[in-house]
Amino acid sequence: MRRIALSTLTVATLVGLLAPLASGQTPPPWKQGQPQDLADSTLAPIAQPPAPKAAGEIPVDKIKLPPGFKASLWASGINNARVMTWGDKGTLFVGSRVAGNVYAVIDKGGQREVKTVAKGLNLPNGLAFRDGTLYIAEVSRITKMAGIENALDSPPAMEVVYDILPRDLPHGWKYLAFGPDGKLYFNIGAPCNICMPPDTHANISRVNPDGTGFEYVARGVRNSVGFDWHPVTKELYFTTHGRDWLGDDLPSDRFDVAPKKGMHFGFPYCHQGDILDPEFGKGHSCSEFTPPLLKTGPHVAGNGVEFYTGSMFPPEYKNRVFLAQRGSWNRNKKIGFRVMMVTLGSGGAPKYEPFAEGWLQGEEVWGRPVYTRQMKDGSLLISDDYAGAIYRITYQK
Amino acid sequence: MFVASPPLASAADVEAGRRKAEPCAACHGRDGNASIPGTPSLAGQPVFFTHWQLIKFRDGRRKDPLMSPVAEHLSDEDMADLAAYYQAQPPRRRPGTLDPAKIAEGQRLAEVHHCTSCHKPGLIGQQQAARLAGQDLDYLLKLLRGFKAKTASDLDGTMTIAAQPLSADDIVSLAHFIASLGQE
Repeated sequence: MRRIALSTLTVATLVGLLAPLASGQTPPPWKQGQPQDLADSTLAPIAQPPAPKAAGEIPVDKIKLPPGFKASLWASGINNARVMTWGDKGTLFVGSRVAGNVYAVIDKGGQREVKTVAKGLNLPNGLAFRDGTLYIAEVSRITKMAGIENALDSPPAMEVVYDILPRDLPHGWKYLAFGPDGKLYFNIGAPCNICMPPDTHANISRVNPDGTGFEYVARGVRNSVGFDWHPVTKELYFTTHGRDWLGDDLPSDRFDVAPKKGMHFGFPYCHQGDILDPEFGKGHSCSEFTPPLLKTGPHVAGNGVEFYTGSMFPPEYKNRVFLAQRGSWNRNKKIGFRVMMVTLGSGGAPKYEPFAEGWLQGEEVWGRPVYTRQMKDGSLLISDDYAGAIYRITYQK
Repeated sequence: MFVASPPLASAADVEAGRRKAEPCAACHGRDGNASIPGTPSLAGQPVFFTHWQLIKFRDGRRKDPLMSPVAEHLSDEDMADLAAYYQAQPPRRRPGTLDPAKIAEGQRLAEVHHCTSCHKPGLIGQQQAARLAGQDLDYLLKLLRGFKAKTASDLDGTMTIAAQPLSADDIVSLAHFIASLGQE
């Protein structure tokens, strides 16, 4: 068994060693890798509001969908709502990032009640549920709460599943999901915008639900915070956020497939499958690495990946993939803030088209779709961490 | 339509914030300009900053024997009102004896360490990043040492990372420089 070693290098040391800057010190993570000629850029990450929007302040009618589809506000008041996963008894568990909370949303016949089941956690983005137990991924550990659905008002203690993951905060938050093999999959992001990551970073990894058997699954993955498995082939599909500060249109974010373990997807040497990094690409060729299945667009910030397996939507939606894109900051004209859909063909390029748009009006952002989750009836929930809300998409002929 | 907990935020109300801030005046000053060494001024702080700090106190991610019990009973609406009130108050530089040599060295360090990337030129703050200009010297020292020791509460790690290369002397110089900014 390979065990992951805690990185003793701080990001500052690492980046300082490999990419010395004129000033000698590392800028904040979001600004790292910014070239001199962009030093005066006013682009910066969109700040996360400290509180959710009130239901009445959420213009759900602005969400644009294909004919026959309808969006409604399913729940609101959920600060920083991100990953969603279903409990066995119909509780929707919702993770967050900077809010540090895990929520339980209970559907009470047309009304939704929101309870906070854990708070003060370290960027608890990743949630997975199996056999009555909720698994929570924070930056450096995976924990579980057994029997939680029976005790939402006095949640059980968090038991450690695996707690020797790197502590780096940049790209340290995780997506977490059970693969078809019953193992827990999660990302260990590159601890930087662009750097030579330690061997322990920039990958998708997996571990048994009892914490044994850690192994790397995919390498050269800058930061993937969304994946799912094809319902038929059982292959792993995932999105990756591309690096910043190479300009408005480069590089594209990616949608990838990893049919086997051990493939390398290019970071930090090659971006979007066909451009070498100006610094780390030297001496390499993009042909050394696996190219993306699809270029999803520059800076779109692709998070959620979900294959549609329900029966409410028209038949052609079966096995289509929904990609939730939280939207750009490192681009002068904003892009993303939408849910795209991908139709995988047998041979030929996948079809890539918008499914839900409207969170971006001109250059104004009122919401940021982060993840999707199907409901039992085949309708689709979309989480929005900016408005602190969850929308429900239904279809009627 | 929805039953939601925590309560929904509504549009922030500066006047409501003024009333709700009355119990805070003893330490932070009536207009958010504190005078007790070690206690931060809140006047002119960006709305997102004050609101996030209150959430962190309420959630136990930031701990303080005086602030934790206060924040425990605040609703999201209270926090929004308080944050709006304090942002609207004109900030004044805290009085204190500052060392010109340390100020000069701190100015150099602020540039080297990219402080203005998040805190804006003049260190006036923006969004979730605090206004630093003219803040209390003791408070700045306490916080910077806390970030260096990885014990101060950080929203996403940015300040903890930023403080790691700082020496004990660097921290003192930076604090002197920051405290010297702004209007009396």
